[in-house]
Amino acid sequence: MSIQEIGGSGKSGKDRIQEYPDRRKKEHSEVFQESLMQNLKYQGEAQGRESEEKKRLRTSGKEDRPGIGRIGVTAGIRVNTITKRDVIQAVEVRHMSYEESDNIEIAVTEGYTLKGKREGNHVYVEAKYDDGRLEAYQVDPRQVQAQTQHRIEQFAVETAAGGK
Amino acid sequence: MEQEFAREERWSHLAAEYQTMLYRIAFANMRSRADAEDAVQEAFLRYMKDEKPIRSMEHEKAWLIRTTIHICMDMLKSGWRRKTVPLEESVLAASKEVYLPYQIKDDRTLEAVLKLPVHYRNPIYLFYYEDYSIQEIAGALHEKEGTIKTRLRRGREEVKKILTEGRPESL
Repeated sequence: MSIQEIGGSGKSGKDRIQEYPDRRKKEHSEVFQESLMQNLKYQGEAQGRESEEKKRLRTSGKEDRPGIGRIGVTAGIRVNTITKRDVIQAVEVRHMSYEESDNIEIAVTEGYTLKGKREGNHVYVEAKYDDGRLEAYQVDPRQVQAQTQHRIEQFAVETAAGGK
Repeated sequence: MEQEFAREERWSHLAAEYQTMLYRIAFANMRSRADAEDAVQEAFLRYMKDEKPIRSMEHEKAWLIRTTIHICMDMLKSGWRRKTVPLEESVLAASKEVYLPYQIKDDRTLEAVLKLPVHYRNPIYLFYYEDYSIQEIAGALHEKEGTIKTRLRRGREEVKKILTEGRPESL
């Protein structure tokens, strides 16, 4: 929308412009300028946030892709927020057996199994779902928040504490 | 003589490799130690008798799982067994006697799985407790992957019902 469109139409508006030409013109331009500045400011902030997020993803080497960085589809472990990359990272699946694992969770009613293995400061977690998906994550249990509701993170902490 | 020795060696290797796993699968179906042992023994006997050329280890494993389950089904169908096994007691005992190579935290769920009808029980048991993939289960049970996925999903719902409603077991 242009300045002309805002101030140009409407009989009463025109009349008032004739009646108080200077005041009306000033009012419109002020309003428009304010709204324009607000929009520009908002857009600038949004762009800043976006570029910061992109930069952060580039440096961590991971872009969001469908199925990566989102944990699970079953009710028990669904987490719809983007995962925190410094705590949990999607990694390649190694097809670890139960015998090799330090901790396992069999959740028949939720439709998944979890296998965890302690590896230095990290825990490797493999998740298998009854829709056929197989996912693996590397979790740093030291950075997991105590109140986390994230099942993979909770499981990694249990594993690090010596589960099985 | 040499050929026979090689064959015996191969059979003993085969038994060492698969007998524990096959026993657990048979136990999940039969819920009795003696019957499970009989089923596994019969499966090995059939394998040795047939001596079919095996394409791969995976194919061999799938054949043995499938045959063991078929033997179990045949045994369960026999009229004598139906009359002689006290089912309600056997499931409780069976869930405590499945010697898995790891510790399970929830015995009640395994107990519920053992109460499922066989077409749900075997895919669920193999998927969760033996850690087989859907592809492997489909190969072992001669079913399509889609069928296995459906049975896993429906079986899961049945397990929930058993856990909440305490439904009686079925064969």
